[in-house]
Amino acid sequence: MSEKREQNRPPINIMGRPRGGPMGAMMNREKPKNAGQTLKRLAAYIAMDKNLFFALMSVMILITVFNLAIPSVQGWAIDKLTDAIGGVFDAEGFVRFLVLLATLHILNALTSYLQGIFSAKLSQRTVRNMRSDLFSKIVYLPIKYFDTHRHGDIMSRMTNDVQNISNTVSQSIGSLISGTLTVLGTLVIMLCYSPALTAVSMITIVLTLFVTRNLTKFMRKMFVKQQELLGSLNAHSEETITGSKTIAAYILEEEQKQKFDDISNSLKNCSIKAQILGGSMGPLMNFISNFGYLLIAATGGFMAWKSMITVGTIQAFLIYTKQFSRPINEIANQFAQIQTAMAGAERVFAVMDSEEERQVDEDKGMRAEGNISFKDVCFSYKSGEPVIRNFSLDVKAGQKIALVGATGSGKTTIVNLLTRFYDIDSGEILIDGKNILDIPKGELRENIAIVLQDTVLFHDKISANIAYGKLDASMEEISSAAKMSNADVFIERFPEKYDTMLSEGGQNLSEGQRQLLSIARAVLKNPQILILDEATSNVDTRTELNIQKAMIRLMENRTSIIIAHRLSTIRDADVIVVLDRGEIAEIGSHEELLNKKGRYFALYSTQFAGGVI
Amino acid sequence: MKLLGLLRKYWFFSLLAPLFMIGEVSMDLMQPKLMSQIVDDGVLGNNMAVIISTGLKMLGFTALGVLSGVLSGVFTNLASQNFGNDLRKKVYDRVIHLSFEQTDKFTTGSLITRLTNDVTAVQDFVSQALRGFVRSGFMFAGGIIMLLSLDAGFGKITACVLPLQILVIFTFLKKVAPIFSKVQEKLDKVNSVMLENVTGARVIKAYVREEYEKDRFSIANDELMNTNLRVMKLMASISPLMMLLMNIAVVLIIYIGGFEVAAANMQVGEIMAAINYVTMIIHSLMMVSMMFQSITRARASMSRINEVLDTTPVISDGEGNSERESEYIIEFNNVSFTYPNYSGRPVIDNFNLKIRKGEWVAILGATGSGKTSLINLIPRFYDVCEGSVLVEGVDVREYKLNKLRNKICTVMQKSELYTGTVEENIRMGKQGASHDEVVKAAKIAQADDFINSFEDGYNTVISEKGSSLSGGQKQRVSIARALLKKPEVLIFDDSTSALDLATESRLHKALSEELSETTVIMIAQRVASVKNADRIVVIDAGEVKACGTHDELLKNSDIYIDIYNSQMQSMGEGASL
Repeated sequence: MSEKREQNRPPINIMGRPRGGPMGAMMNREKPKNAGQTLKRLAAYIAMDKNLFFALMSVMILITVFNLAIPSVQGWAIDKLTDAIGGVFDAEGFVRFLVLLATLHILNALTSYLQGIFSAKLSQRTVRNMRSDLFSKIVYLPIKYFDTHRHGDIMSRMTNDVQNISNTVSQSIGSLISGTLTVLGTLVIMLCYSPALTAVSMITIVLTLFVTRNLTKFMRKMFVKQQELLGSLNAHSEETITGSKTIAAYILEEEQKQKFDDISNSLKNCSIKAQILGGSMGPLMNFISNFGYLLIAATGGFMAWKSMITVGTIQAFLIYTKQFSRPINEIANQFAQIQTAMAGAERVFAVMDSEEERQVDEDKGMRAEGNISFKDVCFSYKSGEPVIRNFSLDVKAGQKIALVGATGSGKTTIVNLLTRFYDIDSGEILIDGKNILDIPKGELRENIAIVLQDTVLFHDKISANIAYGKLDASMEEISSAAKMSNADVFIERFPEKYDTMLSEGGQNLSEGQRQLLSIARAVLKNPQILILDEATSNVDTRTELNIQKAMIRLMENRTSIIIAHRLSTIRDADVIVVLDRGEIAEIGSHEELLNKKGRYFALYSTQFAGGVI
Repeated sequence: MKLLGLLRKYWFFSLLAPLFMIGEVSMDLMQPKLMSQIVDDGVLGNNMAVIISTGLKMLGFTALGVLSGVLSGVFTNLASQNFGNDLRKKVYDRVIHLSFEQTDKFTTGSLITRLTNDVTAVQDFVSQALRGFVRSGFMFAGGIIMLLSLDAGFGKITACVLPLQILVIFTFLKKVAPIFSKVQEKLDKVNSVMLENVTGARVIKAYVREEYEKDRFSIANDELMNTNLRVMKLMASISPLMMLLMNIAVVLIIYIGGFEVAAANMQVGEIMAAINYVTMIIHSLMMVSMMFQSITRARASMSRINEVLDTTPVISDGEGNSERESEYIIEFNNVSFTYPNYSGRPVIDNFNLKIRKGEWVAILGATGSGKTSLINLIPRFYDVCEGSVLVEGVDVREYKLNKLRNKICTVMQKSELYTGTVEENIRMGKQGASHDEVVKAAKIAQADDFINSFEDGYNTVISEKGSSLSGGQKQRVSIARALLKKPEVLIFDDSTSALDLATESRLHKALSEELSETTVIMIAQRVASVKNADRIVVIDAGEVKACGTHDELLKNSDIYIDIYNSQMQSMGEGASL
């Protein structure tokens, strides 16, 4: 019971990395391995829509120009006022500058809006294309890939990594470009106004960078520790929640709580230190910026006093200094995010670069009769560890074959080989005398239906789930397939019948109902060859009987290979194959094998005698 | 919001934090005014001494502001982190005492998220409330006061611009919130198609539906892009609009102020100060709108935490004062049991069995026959649906849980080992047990030999839930742990299945020599494991089919004879189909 539940449980936290305070992203900083190559491919994605890209670039240049011009115009307007003191007030000129200023602000707002739209489009299209390429790849990846990679890991590339890239494209790229432009432009203008004041404001900027660098270096250590403690807090919670039976059996609740409290307390103490450090960054920066303000005001004041510059210039300089240091800080802050995104892009590209099994040949619409023969088939998942050894078996069209054997004896592997989920190492498998390696995979699989123990259902209507067996099936075909498989009884009981939406993985159905649906799907596909993996899960007796009846009906007039668990299925098979470590240990009908008093007899009597099943 | 009551303990910090924040903001508010003095009296008044003295004053205020800001940070963190810590511990305390059916219902993943992410979200909210809200609020109010003190005429500008700004913010929030939830929905859809394809790859390939899936994904993907674009387009308009409003206000201030200056009613520096104040006011307003989002987030987290805190364990202590004499240590009386939220036939159906003190009872039956469910009822991992389970003549529901569970110890089917050394794992059975006691338990459990074969012996660190040990080794460590506890009733839930027959019989021998007083209930699949039991109970579909000693059953139980014959003939090779 508990085992089963564990399997059904959704993978924990595939959607997000643990959050660790504001500096979390910084702590998880990963370095891309081949930054140049990845950047190039990423750039290719971004520049896919050339017109949009150039539109965005030109809008950004415009914005930068506006941002550079605005402080100057404002300064000129203020200069008109200082001139007025003890002089003549040029009201007309003053208003003209203000109108110019307002126009610039309006233009700036318009172009900023356009920039927002363009960069949203660019980032969304980039991510759409990337997702779609990634998915097309994944759909055609061989089963081996799914068997050898953790599902959560594949999922996180689609979710976390692509999301990171998306965020970076929409935020960082823009600020990177406009930031660089602004910094350069501001520097030029500041130098034009007054090289001396520029030198003074550089002092603040150097000071800011110096403090940030040293403080973050120190903070990093604290945040790493905080992250580690958070990790052990998580681990402890998971261990005790999943192992709650043992905790209860040994009455260890208080012990475990003590342990949790200890970790939680040290996390608190560490966090307080880290956060206070992080929190002082703001006021400290504020201090430096005010210090710079003062330096400029004092130097500027002195220079204005000596009539070397105007008050408007001071005002403009104060704005320019802020404008100069802001992009530098922004880029520095985003550096961590860019690195994370690059590492993510690398992982996404790694999937895109793996070998796929997309078929090249055209389907010829072969309709197999259902004769299957295995000739000296050998296979191993890992070289040196053979799973199937010299397996030879002839199956005539319409025969029922039961595969019987212990876990790990190779039953499922035979299925994997026949459907070409994996290709054999040596020997050959023939269908109607034709080597399956010469049949296009799509065509081969169209002729085989498999009903797996772990049912796969989609978040879609019941009818669509059945029609998966034949996409263009009419409603009549779907309902008759449901009838054939005894699924109609429970479907009709839903208020929306065939239009009932299944939740993710069909979790709103019982185990037995899910199996009936997957049988209906196979019925609709109507192939000549059928592969059945009998489930051993606990379903109530009536449903079990229904499933069994449906399976028997499904097997009629078809070549069937059954990974069998139920005595009745095995007894009714034409041929029983007893597998042992990838080899055929015994083969024959039920009676023949029982009389032999060999391995089958032993298995039979341990498991079935006494009517326990 | 009732969670915030936990903050009461840290009222002192919670009071100081905003106070110091007000200090910091006050210093910030002084700056533009001082700046205007520098400009007006210093620069324009050609007075270098004023520039220097006011400048130093400014720097002094800034230093005070920094100090105040840092102190506010210190107190905010002391309050919010302590609060978060208390909350986390409180939630954990509840989680660890939940009954299994409740843990199952919440799922482990969700409980962990609540313990970590949600607690952090609430804690962040507290720290924001103590600093951010205060900062923005005070800056907003202070900015307006300072601005008006410069010239009442500026009030008109703020009176025009601020309502517009607020209107923009609220229409935006109202428009964007529903689309945000739609974005989440579309994202879920993309992820769910993806997950289906990753987990269902075999079926998709078997039905040759790669192209179909691509189309399905493409639809979901495009929908996500379009919904995202809708949000981003709204976002693209909001920030330029806000900036425009602010800048227009600045232009207006220069305009109005300009004519005042020309009329010699105002000074240039004051205009510059006014510009700074308007910027402060509007920025603080924008900050407030951002905080609305954090309130929503915190509220969602709070309700998720409350869900856990409001769950009372369904299995709780009984009165604990009944005592009765009984010749049986355990009795099942007409017990029926079905798992909560599980329809279908009951797992245990009208079950009766009495076990004497010191008896060794074996339970034999196929998978799914209800053996594990049966023994889960004794330490009250689950409660019976009908009938009763008695321990020493008293219904288990009348016991204090700790007292009941102290009498009984179950060695689980799946060994649960924890991060730590082998010795620590065994010592879980009895806190404070000496090394010798641990070794003695390990010896009886036949674990001593292999533990000593490790380089670090008993100090070998078990990692990743014991993945470095073999199945049989894990089982023996678990058995040693149970033996150390010295319970009155020891239950083995098929927990010797990974041992070879020779080791198992050595274990049985050691058990019967060392624990003759202990009642042992042993669930097993192999006849050989249970042959020497005082009594063997064969169960199927939650009912007793046969009961007796090995010899008795061999004489009169057909089922047992069948099982026996089959296993003996296959030389005890427990192959499963």
